[in-house]
Amino acid sequence: MSRPVRIEGLAVGYGGSRRRPAAPVLERTDLDLPAGSFTALLGPSGCGKSTVLGAVAGFVRPTAGRITVAGVPVTGPGPDRGLVFQQYALFPWRTARGNVEFALKRLGLRRAERRTRALAALAEVGLAEGAEKYPAQLSGGMQQRVALARALAAEPDVLLLDEPFGALDALTRSRMQELLRGLWQRTGLTVLFVTHDIDEALALAERVVVLGGSPGRVLADHAVPPGPPDPGLRELVAAHLAAG
Amino acid sequence: MHATPTPPGPAALGRLGPALAAAGAALGLWYALARSGAVAPGLLPTPGQTVAALADGARDGTLAGDLAASLARAGQGFALGALLGSALGFATGHLPWLSAAVTPLVSFLRPIPAIALVPLATAWFGIGETAKRLLIAYAVLLAVWLYVHDGVSRVPVTHLRAARSLGAPLHRRFAEVLLPAAAPALLAALRYGASVALLALVAAELGGAEAGLAYRLQVDGQFLRVDRMFAGLLVLGVLGVAVDLLLAAAGRRFAHWGPS
Repeated sequence: MSRPVRIEGLAVGYGGSRRRPAAPVLERTDLDLPAGSFTALLGPSGCGKSTVLGAVAGFVRPTAGRITVAGVPVTGPGPDRGLVFQQYALFPWRTARGNVEFALKRLGLRRAERRTRALAALAEVGLAEGAEKYPAQLSGGMQQRVALARALAAEPDVLLLDEPFGALDALTRSRMQELLRGLWQRTGLTVLFVTHDIDEALALAERVVVLGGSPGRVLADHAVPPGPPDPGLRELVAAHLAAG
Repeated sequence: MHATPTPPGPAALGRLGPALAAAGAALGLWYALARSGAVAPGLLPTPGQTVAALADGARDGTLAGDLAASLARAGQGFALGALLGSALGFATGHLPWLSAAVTPLVSFLRPIPAIALVPLATAWFGIGETAKRLLIAYAVLLAVWLYVHDGVSRVPVTHLRAARSLGAPLHRRFAEVLLPAAAPALLAALRYGASVALLALVAAELGGAEAGLAYRLQVDGQFLRVDRMFAGLLVLGVLGVAVDLLLAAAGRRFAHWGPS
């Protein structure tokens, strides 16, 4: 089931102490992610986009403001918010199926049921063949497919992706984008996708939020109309990105 | 990339070849030196005399008795030290505040050779088995702690974060993430710990014992039985290699994803 995410007055600083205030990383930011929406957070490195994602995931503690998922405040990491990292973060001691089953254990299924569901989840990301392979035996794109299957297997309401395709070659990346688009359309999850690649943001998302500056803040917020790529929109977003 | 175990056969023999050749050459050199008369008579036995001394010890039961005494000491000391060292290593490797408190202290204690503690251990616990076991356990604890601490602190934070965001509670994060992620380091720690246990065993037995491989070396030294001393050293060497091979095999079985 998909749920809305509401970010209200979120500010984050790192390295603060009693005597010295924290160095601000992110200025007060408001952002509403409607249930089932696909939003890209676009910005250069160091603009605080990963910080926003980390705060929604529950790993980054805000210095001000709050985040709610369907009205429930985020106080820490939880399985309602699935996470996909750039470095895959697969467990190298488990096979692809084992990695997915790790996520399924929470649901208290019988072993056979867990196995069936894990194989189905891998088939859904196009990796039925590699189920018994270890991550080190899989290519980067295949590893990221497993990571997607694992994140989705935990049945999250929100899917958070932190530059998930940044380490992939161009061809693999566009295939993975297609896969993610399809998964989103099928599941209707609320997706927050962090990237520094303007074309990736425009190709994937319904909405592109441009972050920039130091400390980071929202520079622009564009709806992306469905259909073929719009060069005018790309120029506009690029201009906002450059302004940061 | 993924480490696949090498099947035994021609390939393994190919790797063993140079080692066997070197061992054969060393044996030949040893024999030639012992026979040449370059060393004063009685101070260097031939390989044959060493094996004969070993057979003597096996026949009259001293070898079995010494081996049993030494293995019991080293085994018990190693088990205690490895257990405590691993537990401490997991704790300091995972909890930065605990590491900040404990690491400087352990880093100070670690370079003090175990042999330097023999007189103190004897003063505190007498010359009985307790002193020896504790000395070995102490040396193993420090060695194992270092490796395990290092391994656990290198576990990628994304692994632990992924586990938390997948809803795994603390006990699952330990048993299913931290433990397997640190398993290669843990096995390296146990291998190193076993070699340290052997060192500490010799130090402890030289400090006074009634049986044991190193104790026997000391007795044989007093009677200038160089052939028996060579036999004893041979046993110590074989013991060390055997334990290491055993632990290395366990490592390949239980931590195939490791960097080694």
